[in-house]
Amino acid sequence: MKRTSLFTLAASALLTSSCFAADLTIYTYDSFNSEWGPGPQLEKSFEAQCQCDIEFIAVDDGVSILNRARIEKASTKADVLLGLDDSLTQVTRDEGLVQAHGVDLSSLTTALAWDDEDFVPFDYGYFSFIYDSSKIAQPADSLKALINSNASVIYQDPRTSTPGQGLMLWVNAVYGDEAASAWTELAKHTVTVTKGWWEAYSMFLEGGADYVLSYNTSPAYHAVVDGESKYKAALFDEGHIAQVEVAAISQYSDNPELAKQFLSFLISPEAQHIIPTTNWMLPVIDNVELPAPFSSLITPKRLNFTPAQVAEQRKAMISTWRSSAQ
Amino acid sequence: MTLGKTSPAKKIGLFSLSQLCWLSYPVTLLVTLLAFYGLMSFEGDSADWQLLTDSYFLGVLGFTLKQSTISSFASVLFAIPIARALNQLNAQRFKNIFLGLCLLCFVTPTLVVVTGLVALLGRSGWLTPYIEPLMEDNSWNLYGLNGILLAHLFMNMPFAIRIIHQQLATIPDTSWRLAKQLKFSPWQRFVIIEKPVIQSAGLMLFGFIFVLCFNSFAVVLALGGGPQSTTLEVAVYQALKYDFNISEALALAWSQLLIAGGLYACFSAMGTPVWQSHEVINQTTRPYPLTSQGSRLRLLALCGMGILLLLPYVALLPSISLFFTADIWRLIMQPLLLSIGLGMTSASISLVMAYTLLQPIRSQLKQKRSMRVKLLEQMATHQLFAPAMVISVGLFVFLLPRVDLDRWGIIVVILLNSAVLVPFAFQKLKPRLIQFDQQYDRLCLSLKLNTWERWKIEWAFIRPSFISAASLVFVLAAGDVAIFAIFGPSDWSTLPWLIYSLAGTYRIPEASAASLLLLLVCAGALWLLQLVANRTAISSAEPSTDAEP
Repeated sequence: MKRTSLFTLAASALLTSSCFAADLTIYTYDSFNSEWGPGPQLEKSFEAQCQCDIEFIAVDDGVSILNRARIEKASTKADVLLGLDDSLTQVTRDEGLVQAHGVDLSSLTTALAWDDEDFVPFDYGYFSFIYDSSKIAQPADSLKALINSNASVIYQDPRTSTPGQGLMLWVNAVYGDEAASAWTELAKHTVTVTKGWWEAYSMFLEGGADYVLSYNTSPAYHAVVDGESKYKAALFDEGHIAQVEVAAISQYSDNPELAKQFLSFLISPEAQHIIPTTNWMLPVIDNVELPAPFSSLITPKRLNFTPAQVAEQRKAMISTWRSSAQ
Repeated sequence: MTLGKTSPAKKIGLFSLSQLCWLSYPVTLLVTLLAFYGLMSFEGDSADWQLLTDSYFLGVLGFTLKQSTISSFASVLFAIPIARALNQLNAQRFKNIFLGLCLLCFVTPTLVVVTGLVALLGRSGWLTPYIEPLMEDNSWNLYGLNGILLAHLFMNMPFAIRIIHQQLATIPDTSWRLAKQLKFSPWQRFVIIEKPVIQSAGLMLFGFIFVLCFNSFAVVLALGGGPQSTTLEVAVYQALKYDFNISEALALAWSQLLIAGGLYACFSAMGTPVWQSHEVINQTTRPYPLTSQGSRLRLLALCGMGILLLLPYVALLPSISLFFTADIWRLIMQPLLLSIGLGMTSASISLVMAYTLLQPIRSQLKQKRSMRVKLLEQMATHQLFAPAMVISVGLFVFLLPRVDLDRWGIIVVILLNSAVLVPFAFQKLKPRLIQFDQQYDRLCLSLKLNTWERWKIEWAFIRPSFISAASLVFVLAAGDVAIFAIFGPSDWSTLPWLIYSLAGTYRIPEASAASLLLLLVCAGALWLLQLVANRTAISSAEPSTDAEP
C-alpha cells in the first residue's frame, strides 16, 4: 500500500509540474470551463484567431474569483477575470483589481444600457421563478402575488448565491421598507433555502416545490437539450432584476493587449453564438442566431439596482433577511 | 522504540527515535497555527468580539448546541437496544454483515446521504405520503431541524451501535454463566452485567458524536433550509464566502474551537475512552441465554433496522443503467482513479502520523503521567474539533501568495486530508497499541529485544487495527469534497467533486450514477480491507511465531 501511494505522490508531482504558463491566463468559475460550459469552445476558437495559448483557471464561482484576486493582489497569474457579475463590479473596482478595457462597446444590445469602462458584459439573464406548466395552469403574475400565495418555493441563500442575492434585491425593490414582513410571509411557504443554484434547481426538478428561483433562460435549456417544454418562467409585472455577467482585465496583467483582444472576442458574433447554448444565458449583442426556444422566453421589464447601491445596502439587506426569513 | 533507559534505541545524530517522535506534535499543530496566522495576517484583521453579543450569534450558537445535543443523545440512546440485540444473537455471518453496514453508514459521503434522504423524505419522496398523516398538522418538511437530525442519526447511530456492540462483546463468558447460575432476570442481567460496560462507552461516545455534529457542515448546509438553522461552522463559511468578513469568521471560529474543544476535553476526562479495548473478531461463543423465540424477535428487529439503514441507498439504484453507456466511463475514469489515489496516499500519511503521535503517549502512559497523556491526546486529535472551514480558508490565504497552488494544489489536498483525518487513525490505533504495551511490554523488556525485533512483534499484533484504520481513513479521504473544492487544481476532478459539477450543469442522472460508484468504491474498500484484516487477525493470533529470529 505504501509503495503504491509513494508512486501516486510522485506521479501527481510530475503531472502537475508539466503545465506551463500560458500567454493569457483567465480566472473563471467552474461550470464556465466544464466540459459542457462555453470555456473549451471559446478557447479553441480564440486560440485559432490569436495564435496564442490561453489557459482557464476555474474556481468555485464568481465571488471566489474576486476573493482569489483580492488575496493574490500583485502576485496574481490572472490577465482576465471572467465571470463576476454586475453586483460585484463596484467592490472589485474599489479594491483596485482591474484596469480600463478600452473595448468598443457600441455593438452591445441597447437592452443592457451598458457603458462601464472597466467591465465588459458577456451574457445576461433575468432572475425568474420557474414552474412546471403541466402542474400549474395559472402561475403567479407578480412577486407580491407569489409571496402572498401558499405555493411552495425554493430559493438560494443571498449570502452564498447570486440568484439568492438577486431575489433579495428584487424583494427590496418591490417592497422597500416592508421587505422584512415580505420575507416572513415568504418563509411560511418556503421549502428550503439552499446554498447554491443547483441544489435548489435539482430539488425542483425532482418535484420538491412549485416554484424555484432561477433565470428566465432556464426553460430554453430544457427545450433545447431534453425537448421538454413544460418548464416555464413566470413573468412578474413589477419587473425583474437582471444579472449581467462581466469580464475585466486584471490590474496586474502582464499582457493587457492580448487581454483586450480577448474581451473584444467575447462580444464578437462568434463567441456570442457559443455562450447562450453552453452557459444558458442571453447574448449581449443583437442578431445572434439561436435555437427556436430562445425566442419564446419571457422578456421582462428590468428593475434597476446599480452596483454602487448593492455595495452600499447589501449588509443591511442581509441582516433584515437573516432575522425575518424564519 | 519507547523503552526508556534500558532500551537499545537507535540514535539518529543526537536524538533517539523516540525523541524524534515528539516532533510530530509541532508538525500537527503547525497546520492549524498557519491557518489562523493566514487569516489574522491578511489585512491585519482581528476577531470581532462584538459579534458575541449579537442576537444572530446567540441564535446560531443556540441552534448548534440544540441540534448536536439531540443528535448525539438520540444516536447513543437508540444504539443501545440494537447493539444489545446484536450481541445477544448467535449468528456470526449476520452480525458481520450488519456491522459492515453500520460502518458504511458512518463513512458514506454526506452528499450521498443527503441525496438519499431527499429521495425518500423530500417533498415528493417515496415515504413522504406515509409520514404526513402521522404529523400533527398533516405536513412534513424535511428541511430544517428534522432533516439535520435524521442525517446525523443515519450517520452516527450505526457508529454508536458498532462501538457499544464492541464493548458488550468484551464481557467475558464467565459473567454470563454466572448470571445463569444465579438465575438473573433479563432486567438484572442488563443492570448488573451490561449497563456498566455501556455506561463507560456511552459517555465518551456521546462526546465524540456531539463534537462531530457540533462541527457538522455539509449536512446543515444542504438540509438546513434557511437562516434559522445554522451551525457555527456554516456561519464561518457564510462570513467568508461572500463578504470575506475575516473578523467575523475569526470570532465565530475561536468560539467554535473553544466550545467544541472544551466539551470534548470534559467528556474525555469523565468517561473511560471507548477505544480502550481492541475490536473482537470472530467471537464464536454464545454469551446470552436466548429462547428461539427471543432469538427470532431480535433477528426480526435487526433486519428491520438494516432495511431502514439501506433505504437511502436504494434511491440511487435507478441510475445503474447508465453504467452500460460508454460516455459515463469516459467521464468517470480519471476522477475515480484520482479519488482512489488520494484516499490511499492520505491513508498512508495519516496512519504514519498517528502512529508517530502515539509514541510519546505510550511512553508517558508507562510512566503513569495521566495528565500529560490527556494533554497530548487533546493536541494530537485537535483537528477533530478545530473549525475545518477556517483551517482550509486560512491555509489558502496563507499559501496562495507563496505557492503556485494551481500546480501544487493536489499535494495540499493530500496533506490537508491526511492532517484532518489523523484523529480517526489515532483513535483506531491507540487501544491496540496500549493493549500491546500492557500485555507484552514487560516480556519484551525481559527478552532484551532490539527495536527492530520488538517492532516486528508489535506489527503482527496491531496489523488488523492498522488495516481497519487504513480503510476508514481511505474512505473518508476519498469522500472529501470540502478540501478539494478549495485546493483542487481546476483541470482535475475527484468523484465527489465530479458529482457536484455534474449536478451543477443540470446532469442529475449522471450525478447519481457517480454517487453510486463512489458508494461502491467505499463499500468495496471497507469489504476488501476487512477481509484482509480478518485473515491477518487469524494468522497473528500467535505472535510468538512471527517473533522468532
